[in-house]
Amino acid sequence: MSKKGIKRAAKSAKSAMQAGATSLSPRLAMTTATNAGKSVKERVAAMPNVSQAVIESDAQLQAVLKVLRSKDEPTPVRLAALQALQAASFAVIEFESCRGDYLATLRAVATDSDLELRQRVLGILARENDGFAQQRLLEGLQNPEKALLPPEKALQLLGYDVHADAYPVAREIVKHPPSDAAKREALRLLGADASSKPLFEKILRDKEETREIRQIAASSLHAIAPAALQKHAREMLLDPKEYSDIQETSLTALTQFGDAGKVEKDETLMKRISSLRGVGSTKLKQGARLFQAKYGG
Amino acid sequence: MTADLEINNSANPRARYVTWFPSPCRIRLTDASGATAPVSVTLTGRSTATGGVVRFRRTQSGAAATSLSLQLPINGASMPFFVSGLFGRPSLADGDVTIEARAGTALIGAVKLMVRIRKNANTLTVAERNRFIGAFAQLNNQGAGRFVDFRNMHTAAASPQAHGAPGFLPWHRAYLLDLERELQGIDSSVALPYWRFDQAAPNLFSLAYLGFSTSANGTVQFSSTNPLQFWVTDGVQGINRRPFFNTTSGFASGRTEAQTLALGAQYAAFRNMESNPHGSAHTSFGGSISSIPTAARDPLFFLLHANVDRLWAKWQRQNNRFDPTVAASFTNDGSNPIGHNLADTMWPWNGITGPPRPPTAPGGAMAASPSVTAPGAQPRVRNSLDFQGRINVASRLGFDYDDVPMP
Amino acid sequence: MPQLAATRALAESEFAQLVDALSSEPDRGNELIDLLREDHPVYDQRGAAATVRMRGWILIALSRSALNDNALLFVLEELDTGRDAYLVAAAARALRSYANPNAAFAPFVIRAIDNIRYHDEPVTLERYGEYATSTTDSGTTPVRELLATLVWLGPHAREVLREIESWRANRSGFSKKFWNEVDQAFDAVAGIDPLRESNHDTCCCKLPSSLGNTHSWSPGSRNDCEAIESTVFEDHDGATIAFGEFFRGHPSVVVFFYTRCDNPQKCSLTITKLARLQKLLADQGLTEQISTSAITYDPAFDVPERLSGYGRNRGVRLDARHRMLRAIDGVDALRNHFKLGVNFIESLVNRHRIEVYILDVDGRVAASFERIHWNEQEVINRAVELLKEERPPPPPSETGRLVAPSRSSTALPVASTFASLGLAFFPKCPVCWAAYLSVLGLTGLERIPYAPWLQLALIALVLLNVVSVWMRGRATGRMSAFALVAAGAIAILISRAGLGLDGAGPWGVALTLAGSLLSALSREKTTPVLWRRLATRV
Repeated sequence: MSKKGIKRAAKSAKSAMQAGATSLSPRLAMTTATNAGKSVKERVAAMPNVSQAVIESDAQLQAVLKVLRSKDEPTPVRLAALQALQAASFAVIEFESCRGDYLATLRAVATDSDLELRQRVLGILARENDGFAQQRLLEGLQNPEKALLPPEKALQLLGYDVHADAYPVAREIVKHPPSDAAKREALRLLGADASSKPLFEKILRDKEETREIRQIAASSLHAIAPAALQKHAREMLLDPKEYSDIQETSLTALTQFGDAGKVEKDETLMKRISSLRGVGSTKLKQGARLFQAKYGG
Repeated sequence: MTADLEINNSANPRARYVTWFPSPCRIRLTDASGATAPVSVTLTGRSTATGGVVRFRRTQSGAAATSLSLQLPINGASMPFFVSGLFGRPSLADGDVTIEARAGTALIGAVKLMVRIRKNANTLTVAERNRFIGAFAQLNNQGAGRFVDFRNMHTAAASPQAHGAPGFLPWHRAYLLDLERELQGIDSSVALPYWRFDQAAPNLFSLAYLGFSTSANGTVQFSSTNPLQFWVTDGVQGINRRPFFNTTSGFASGRTEAQTLALGAQYAAFRNMESNPHGSAHTSFGGSISSIPTAARDPLFFLLHANVDRLWAKWQRQNNRFDPTVAASFTNDGSNPIGHNLADTMWPWNGITGPPRPPTAPGGAMAASPSVTAPGAQPRVRNSLDFQGRINVASRLGFDYDDVPMP
Repeated sequence: MPQLAATRALAESEFAQLVDALSSEPDRGNELIDLLREDHPVYDQRGAAATVRMRGWILIALSRSALNDNALLFVLEELDTGRDAYLVAAAARALRSYANPNAAFAPFVIRAIDNIRYHDEPVTLERYGEYATSTTDSGTTPVRELLATLVWLGPHAREVLREIESWRANRSGFSKKFWNEVDQAFDAVAGIDPLRESNHDTCCCKLPSSLGNTHSWSPGSRNDCEAIESTVFEDHDGATIAFGEFFRGHPSVVVFFYTRCDNPQKCSLTITKLARLQKLLADQGLTEQISTSAITYDPAFDVPERLSGYGRNRGVRLDARHRMLRAIDGVDALRNHFKLGVNFIESLVNRHRIEVYILDVDGRVAASFERIHWNEQEVINRAVELLKEERPPPPPSETGRLVAPSRSSTALPVASTFASLGLAFFPKCPVCWAAYLSVLGLTGLERIPYAPWLQLALIALVLLNVVSVWMRGRATGRMSAFALVAAGAIAILISRAGLGLDGAGPWGVALTLAGSLLSALSREKTTPVLWRRLATRV
């Protein structure tokens, strides 16, 4: 099938799934979902109803796993099979005997030619802290020819486990980002690294950086050094040349998480907030109102 | 002449919250001002235009009325009465409905209260939304707040306590209740909203609310004034949520509400909803919410489960399944794993650790409520069924849904 | 094949080769087991997943030959607290290579099954670093391996027969894939009990005595804490306190942890148990007499607010005597002093063991409980014994026992210094005598006979100096001072040997002086192997 055709089929499949699971019986749903002779739309619509069936019978589990593994099956059907299996996995006790085959199949599909499939299965494996997935993702970051996913996705998935060996490559990507998205995800990942505090402080105060990057820096700094963020937030609020969106973020940080004892005694800050009620952006005015509701002034 | 009113029979202002179910209240004269005989007092409710509306009853099961007349003894003894919210008219803000007590035309006592109801997340007012996300962000507190316990209650290690067996629905009901009570400890006007996953919810998936993300990216974005932008779990900032549907116009895959409620009148059949629509809703995304070990890292998880719980509540009402002694209300045939039988206490609130339970029990006992006494510090599975107190008034848990009325 | 050094620079593939090589040489078994130490340099800067692969490969290698007692502890630890499928499977297989089944192993196997059964997954134990992508290949699973180990234990596992029966009785309680193996385990365990049949004594129902906890009960055998005396901590409230300030004056229980530990059987449980221990202390009226603390491995991330939250969420009592701590100064010294079983990738822990220490009133480590779950009351009992302990007298010198150097003992360096100075300035020739006498103003350059008895005194001083510097060198781990002094001694003796090499004398004096001063100024960095072995024999 052509790429366009796949996209169309996927869209149609999504609608089929969203139209609500059919009221097919589990037996009929299984028969339809695993029948290569049925249309993609029919098969995708039937898939949500097989979740219970795969738990009840190994033969049915194997049938759906086979659909997922098979490169000859249409991608939308394979994706639907994956979703059905994933939904079934939430019934942990009942899924106990299915888990081994399920994980093995996910690993086998992790190197599939379809990007969407790879992304989803690597996501599932990464959330299980699977060493296989981490190894492949790191390999891809260190050696782009072996990359299974774009760098921003790989970083996002590696971020599920702080113990993955991703900090060095994340720092490298911050220095030499292949894309904005990759830089953003690298920064998010480094948000768990206490030694990155100076990096986040620098980015937060750099007016040349994008709003989104600065916001990530603010949130990360808040996680690893909350007092530092409070200090910078105050300074940015007092800086009349600072962009209003980062001031909004600063105001939110102070309002939500500020040290009341300190803030209420800070006359300079309180004066500034009062002035923002008159001259700031709409969001700043709103934020100033909330700030004053909490701290007075 | 003055009178004192107590909602939920408590002087605690944090107890001034009612649901659809009649809450026990009382009134007494604090200053009889020369009266020599019992004083005739009329209770009425005064609401704002869009605020909550209450109804009065003389007894728990009595007829509901817009007002109630009582004779108050001059010795200051209390007179009981019952107050409930009028179905369809929940409060929008704390204290937006007032109960007034008048002796003749003179106002002798008043108390503000709230008809606090769990609502559709997509239709909250801006103020309700902001209070909810503000409380949630405070509970998280950059990863150092009490939320970490709720995250740690829902991990791979803990999952058998709550999934894949009949206790799935009762456990999650208790879990949500505990979280809601913690949120109310921060802002008592907050009730946990639900994400109606079989309908579009464009307001919910917005920068100002639970954040916006796309299938291409998956990193949830927030507006600069949204406190959830500081959300941290497991030491990592932010939320990964990659919708496989258009969050502006589409909805999650899986059974619709009608199809779910039609699964069957026996609990054994109904609980298949665990894989679909519950599992389907989870897996309509990539990202944290789509896997058990990480699902609780996304605040949307709790709204998803509030809807699961609402569906159960609706099914219970539809089939009259509140009584744990009725076999069809719950599958209790002796083959359930520990923690999934009616008489079992539930981890982690029971504090029991070591196999077959997880090694630790985060969070301690169930949070208490100023309004109700149930389910107690160490709830049992059975305590989750009679949440409205229909079988036993003392069992009510203190929450209701905006579209699940009393019979 | 050239020998590979086990360092952090070793690639994983080379590491696997090294393990294979060590496991094929019976006399290098201890080197192989040593690789299981968490603090081994080979794990430095490795990610957690890499550490798992490496450790698993060692366990698999051990399973190919007879497992000895030294390795057994690591295997049991993995069964007790492990959550990684690969490691648990490898440990289960390794246990079966132990010489004899032991009833004491059965609870570990059952615990491992409880820990892993809902996280079972296919693993490959045949080739390094390989992950199973199918359950039909030559793979296995940890649950399968554990059930096989139950079969191996046979009647020795009679104690856990009830658990196995419950799996069989309630078929929905165990994965149907393993019903046959469960039946096999049941049949094996329910078989003839060799203990009952042969009236065997019960020694095979206990863990080998070489396992378990280490105690240094003789006060004189405990390492001093001079090296970490000035380590500064910040506690859960942000207050700073030095090691000596907090830990001296009363016995204390110290556990190590970090808030980002993802194994609930380790840190989360350790802190929960610390809370239980505190409650027992309170019940026994000992809260003010025995302090408790939890020190984080991850001080950069575990700021006071996190410490406080983590502790409170687990019911830990927090006050002046009971604290959650992070080291803000002297982190490396702390790690070295306790010989912590931990390693890092940057500042983040990649692997650690469970470790609990009891310190005496002087802050010295008196006992440690490592790897396997510890019992709260047992720890308290040990701490109470320390409460009752009399302060030790100075270590005896003629008992034949070598005693570890302590802070109060400066005998060796002082003796060494004076001996060396005495030796350096001892007149070794008529000129020296003349020089001394002229300094004292007693005589001119008249020749003074050089008495023979002075030669003996000279030799005795030389030998005394050499021996004392050698001993000091063993204590500090630095033998350079000894080398200088030895060279100096040789030079002095040559100069007095009548070989016409008088010029060697001054060189000998200079070398002796330099070596002696170097020895006196060196500080003890690690407990010498000799002291440690002797200490643990107490």
